[in-house]
Amino acid sequence: MVRDFTDIFGSTWLAAAASVAVIMAFLSVNSLMLIWMERKVSARMQRRLGPTEHGPFGLLQTFCDAIKLLGKELITPRHASTKLYLAAPILIFAPIIAICSLFPVSGNWVFRDYDIALVLVLAFTSMSILGIFAAGWGSNNKYSLLGAIRSILQNIAYEVPLLLSVMAVVLLAGSLNLRDIAMQQSGIPYVLLQPLAALIFFVAATAETNRAPFDIPEAESELIGGFHTEYSGMRFGMFFFAEYSSMVIVCGLATILFLGGWHGPVLPGIVWFFIKVYALIFVMMWFRWTFPRLRFDQLLKFSWLVLVPLAVLNLLATALVLKLL
Amino acid sequence: MAGMEHFAEYGFFGALLLAGVLLAVGPVVIPLFISPRSRSEKSRDTYECGMDTIGSAWVRFDLAFYLFALIFVAFSVAVLYLFPVALVYDDGSYLWRDFVAVALFLGILSLALVYSWRRGVFSPALRTTSQRTHRVGE
Repeated sequence: MVRDFTDIFGSTWLAAAASVAVIMAFLSVNSLMLIWMERKVSARMQRRLGPTEHGPFGLLQTFCDAIKLLGKELITPRHASTKLYLAAPILIFAPIIAICSLFPVSGNWVFRDYDIALVLVLAFTSMSILGIFAAGWGSNNKYSLLGAIRSILQNIAYEVPLLLSVMAVVLLAGSLNLRDIAMQQSGIPYVLLQPLAALIFFVAATAETNRAPFDIPEAESELIGGFHTEYSGMRFGMFFFAEYSSMVIVCGLATILFLGGWHGPVLPGIVWFFIKVYALIFVMMWFRWTFPRLRFDQLLKFSWLVLVPLAVLNLLATALVLKLL
Repeated sequence: MAGMEHFAEYGFFGALLLAGVLLAVGPVVIPLFISPRSRSEKSRDTYECGMDTIGSAWVRFDLAFYLFALIFVAFSVAVLYLFPVALVYDDGSYLWRDFVAVALFLGILSLALVYSWRRGVFSPALRTTSQRTHRVGE
């Protein structure tokens, strides 16, 4: 039997407040730790030590950075479009908590069970494009605008193979409920039945989160950070928070759709879920120091002329095999 | 009433969205009390630590981007139609009809991709400088 927060707290609104508290606490710790992990992983891959000063293994380094960011001045550029400029971090940040509430982290425990959870996740993750465009256009800075244009083109190009590869899973599972989809993988995870879809999904998800090798929207060495060039202090911190939270979101989705969610031997489900999510995040960090950045037109061509046709064929093949079985 | 049930169902999600907006304001308000405030006009320049910028960034950009957006709309709307199909697919009522329907649908959709590929939508990004000046001179 599934238990959700409404069962525990009795009222929807109390449950919502409790969910917000739990998710916010998790996400804050998560992004502080992920930034630390990113720095440690990249340092080790380059035979450096990374942060070591504050706390054991430098664990408190990002915590100190966050406090420092809080004390930094917030500057609004004179020529910026103030409304768009101020709205952008909020637009990017706002949907994250709601999206996280949709994930079933273990078999009998969810924040709330939605039959169309998958559609909600996909719809609200693509809302970040709006925030990126507001940031890029609102800043009135050429670097920001270039970064925003690239980011949007890339996001819409990789959205399509992502949706098509998800569709193959939906065909197999016959459900849009994330818990149902994970439930059906108690025997065989879908990554074995849909290896191509899993691969396409992970590549597209890396691109959707603007991670290397698809990080040309940010491209530190050419665009000085891209769409968030003009942001200082905590506004900049919120873009970072959103970036690392969206890594958890796409990796969580990949875990549920392809790796069987919470299923695994011995350990409790919730532990398995997070092991899988952080393993995928580690792979993403590994990507960053393995592959060189793509050129922009190569990136678009790769999506539209390789990933999309492959995803369409994969979907057709899945539909055919389902009929033959 | 069916409407009220839906409200309760998605009220939870809506409350979380609202909480997201409210929490997003927090980190921007706190620095107002503890951060320094510079009085210098220079610090509000666009890209302050670099050279003085020339002109606004709000310029017209390449029409090619519009074509990408068009293909995206075609595909994403089509994929939206596929969600309900995927849910009822293979429920045993028809033998081959739903496969043929999906194949036709994806086939026609792929034509959009083939068409834009043949029209060179995917290779305009690297126009050389000489071609650019030539275009202006036309």
